[in-house]
Amino acid sequence: MNDFASLVQFSIAVPIVAAFLTLFVKSWGRPAVQIVSVTGFALPLIFALFLWGLYDPSTPGGYAFVSNLDTGLEMIGVSLHLGLNGVSLPLFVMASVVGLAAGLFAAQSKAENLSRYLFCLLIMQGGLMGVFASIDIFFFYFFHELALIPTFIMVGIWGGRDRNYAAMKMTIYLTLGAMLSLVGLIAIYVKSGAESFDLITLKAHLAEMPLADSVQNYAFGLLLFGFGILVSLWPLHTWAPLGYGAAPSSAAMLHAGVLKKFGLYGLVQVAIPLLPDGMGHWENWIVWLALGNILVVGLIAMAQRDLKQMIGYSSVMHMGYAFLGIAAMSVLGVGGVVLMMVAHGLTVALLFMLSTMVHHRTQTFEMNEMGGLAKKAPVLAAFFVCAMMASIGLPGPGLANFWGEISIFLAVYDFRNWLVYAVVAGIVISAIYGLRAIASVFYGEETDEFIESQKEVSVEDMSWAERVPALILIVVMFFIGFFPKTVTESINDALESEPVYAQVGE
Amino acid sequence: MGSELYAYALLAFPFLSATAIAFLFRRNGLVASGISVAAAALILATALHIIFRLENFEFNVHWIELGSFSVSFGFLINDLAKLMLFVVAFVGFLVHVFSLGYMKDDPNKARFFGGLSIFMFSMLGLVMASSLVTLFVFWELVGFSSYMLIGFYLGKPSAAAASKKAFIVNRVGDFGFLIGIIMVFSMFGTFNLTSLSEIFSGDASLLQTASVTAIGLFLFCGTVGKSGQLPLHVWLPDAMEGPTPVSALIHAATMVAAGVFLLCRTGFLMTVDALTVIVWVGVLTALVAGLTAIAQRDIKKILAYSTVSQLGYMVAAFGLGSLVALSGSGSHEHAIVTGGVAAAMFHLTTHAFFKALLFLGSGSIIHACHHEQDIFKMGGLAKKMPITFWTFTLALLALIGTPFITAGFYSKDAILALAYQQDKVAFSALVFGAVLTAFYMTRLWKIAFLGSPKSEGADHAHENGLVMTIPLILLSIGSILGGFVWFYPEALRPIILIGEHLAHGENHTTVALFGGAAWAIGLAVAWILYGAGAKEDRLERTSKPLHTLFAQKFYFDHVYDWYVAKIQQRIALTLHFIEQIVLSGLIVRGMAGIAGLVGIGLRSLHVGNIHTYVYWFIGGLVLFWALAVGIF
Repeated sequence: MNDFASLVQFSIAVPIVAAFLTLFVKSWGRPAVQIVSVTGFALPLIFALFLWGLYDPSTPGGYAFVSNLDTGLEMIGVSLHLGLNGVSLPLFVMASVVGLAAGLFAAQSKAENLSRYLFCLLIMQGGLMGVFASIDIFFFYFFHELALIPTFIMVGIWGGRDRNYAAMKMTIYLTLGAMLSLVGLIAIYVKSGAESFDLITLKAHLAEMPLADSVQNYAFGLLLFGFGILVSLWPLHTWAPLGYGAAPSSAAMLHAGVLKKFGLYGLVQVAIPLLPDGMGHWENWIVWLALGNILVVGLIAMAQRDLKQMIGYSSVMHMGYAFLGIAAMSVLGVGGVVLMMVAHGLTVALLFMLSTMVHHRTQTFEMNEMGGLAKKAPVLAAFFVCAMMASIGLPGPGLANFWGEISIFLAVYDFRNWLVYAVVAGIVISAIYGLRAIASVFYGEETDEFIESQKEVSVEDMSWAERVPALILIVVMFFIGFFPKTVTESINDALESEPVYAQVGE
Repeated sequence: MGSELYAYALLAFPFLSATAIAFLFRRNGLVASGISVAAAALILATALHIIFRLENFEFNVHWIELGSFSVSFGFLINDLAKLMLFVVAFVGFLVHVFSLGYMKDDPNKARFFGGLSIFMFSMLGLVMASSLVTLFVFWELVGFSSYMLIGFYLGKPSAAAASKKAFIVNRVGDFGFLIGIIMVFSMFGTFNLTSLSEIFSGDASLLQTASVTAIGLFLFCGTVGKSGQLPLHVWLPDAMEGPTPVSALIHAATMVAAGVFLLCRTGFLMTVDALTVIVWVGVLTALVAGLTAIAQRDIKKILAYSTVSQLGYMVAAFGLGSLVALSGSGSHEHAIVTGGVAAAMFHLTTHAFFKALLFLGSGSIIHACHHEQDIFKMGGLAKKMPITFWTFTLALLALIGTPFITAGFYSKDAILALAYQQDKVAFSALVFGAVLTAFYMTRLWKIAFLGSPKSEGADHAHENGLVMTIPLILLSIGSILGGFVWFYPEALRPIILIGEHLAHGENHTTVALFGGAAWAIGLAVAWILYGAGAKEDRLERTSKPLHTLFAQKFYFDHVYDWYVAKIQQRIALTLHFIEQIVLSGLIVRGMAGIAGLVGIGLRSLHVGNIHTYVYWFIGGLVLFWALAVGIF
């Protein structure tokens, strides 16, 4: 199964190489830049799909396509150990899909300094592919940083309203989150005595000699709040709506859709398997804070007038489901979370992209100043309704999201009965803000502001350059919804082989 | 060929139709309508094949598996599903044909017919679903297609509001439904309806437990939402913002009856306590909606409240009949179908005929009167639109339960007979509801059809073409003959037969007398109170306070609007405010103190460029490295 390990390496390397190529071909004109960058996004998708088709869920030991490259840091136990297991593979594929959509959308955009913008985006993509392919915790973290830095730059340079403040706030928060989790990871490394950052080695080592409870408790706490900030755990989430509101759309797509999943992925694959007792210690914290995500942030989302910020809040709200699914610690709950991560990544990326398309036509994100757009742009309306319905978990466009949510609900009910009432109330809350947004943007009569803005910008329906990236996301969403087994089989097998999850199910 | 292929085909036709319209014929209304109607015809043919040629069957295929959670996609075709399939396919086809005429000149015809196809797809899936989760998936999808079609007239703010309201109110019901499903799985480990009913038939003591009562009531929440029961009925009258064929198909005959269908599908797990609640919700709904209907002026609103009221009858029928069955005093001809299921489904079927007809008829009127919907501005339509008039009249006679000659009489009789046997209070309430039905329909009929035209639209009205009148005629046959068992083909008889039996049960004469008296009283009072083609509402003048209460729909909407605006939105804004001030402002600024100086330093360095980040990053790394070395 390790025959195609080089494809994993290529998936990471190709975007990075393409990034530098864009700078070189810049002088050849815009089309050259576009072709190079789109190739840089498309190849990883092809590789990822190929690996997905090849993957055998029952791979012994879980990891397939494994390669181990020497880094010269062996003395501290760091090596570029790459591979994919049942949990990381779906996310790896999702990252490549969202990447291509974001790349296509960026390539046809009117961003100033397009080649530099695409440079940042491609570097980010390389980091994202690396995050999910790393078995070595050091590189897991390294690739996250590699993807994070371009995000800040993109927000700061190509961002919209309040971009300086947003970039600063995002930087402070996310760096703090990354630092906390880094300390947690270093603590595990130091305290385990395994002298290795390799996840497989660490797992085997800690299964023999678990860390003392006190160590587990503080190390898990560091990871929980570190990752928690990155995933926008309430009340540490305020960077997210603001940051996404200001971020250029492709950056928002990649960050909200993919990079944000780093924290959840870290909890599922690293923190909980290595520190199972620490998890028990912090369980109640997770439950209460996640309820804050669902109920408090859900209600706040209702009060938003800015379309993009509303999507940001709704994304924060959905992270509450994810934390609760993780808290349930069963194959069902955690599996539901992984499924939801995939579905949510596709959906939220689509929503950010479409809201930018709305902005191109209305010149504003203020929903009060929009209205009646469906008449002028029926295809955009149809796409947007589809995306919003998916986001609120409506089976159909959102069948994949629905599978994730219902798995989490079932797990939460078995975990703590009463919680399910609060959690399921989320489906009503999200319907309210989702449908309000659709109604105020697309239905009704045109507002005065919208009529005014049409004097400067004529409104046309979605062009094919806009439709293609959206369709890519929608097709994958539908596919996973209708054929969920293509994803759940591998997730299931990977989690069943993880003792900490397998025992709860029984 | 396996039976399941026909079931798949039933889903494939509308799905392909909707896909083709969405991707290829978005701008070609003519082709789109042709495809959609052809799909509806194929659906009808396939459904008839399943009903008449195929045995009952169940088919399941693994859909998703995750940990202990496992769902099968599948079909459960039994007598109940076959009857419902017949109703959906038959009424669905006629409404499609009618729409050809009704929507002829609409520029967005393609979107309309695409929506109808999506609806057919979802509804057929719902009817055939073999497990609770599959059913829920399609349940949400019918909600979505209803949302789409209510908001069909995009530019109208009222349509936008109505579609939003329908979806959200339904989601409130689905909140309970989903919790019910979750509890079922947690308790019994399966979603499959057949397995569940086997579990229940194997262990009678289950029906004594409080947790099963809770499950039943949570599942019933879904019905309350979808079938417009109190207190979630408010969306249904507003849903009349959609085109009239949609009101006929989705919001009268089929989708809103899905809640009743759900009850019948899950009837085996309803305990006595749950059923008692169900009965009273149904009875109250029947009464409140009936009272509201007598003070409405909009022809579609009257019919909508009438629908809500009749759905209340069906829900009550299910509850009453199942109670009779549980107390053991009923006579059961069939192992699975209890009197409750039979009575509810019998009324559902006849109601589908006559209510679809009434809506299509009203559509025909509205179409002819240039979109005038106020009955007090109509008048004199009987002479101008004879076919519409006569078919409408037949349906109306069926709805008010005209003794012996109409379908509605028999199906209502079956419900009243169950009520008489089980609970005299409910019986009296339902008889009074029947009086109301006769009253408000006679009022509508006399004002709209008799007398002289009172608006230009009504004056210029003329009969519509054959595509619109033939469906009316076909439905009127069902409205009259649908009460007789011999009208139905063999395959559909089992359930209808039990329903018929109820109507001819031991208290037959008493019940029929009450039913007949209710009919006569309601009709007579309305006849006296309203002159032919009256210009104004006499009830409004004679008893102002009562009329206001009814006309204002018992103030349900006011209460909800108040809640949304004054409570929900204020909480949302307050939380938002707190977040802006406290979290972002104070705590975060305070927390920035952790990175204190760095944060200030950043600001002074004009943030947003990479250098500051890198400096800070390196500084942070050094700091944490120091911490790591020092502490650990």
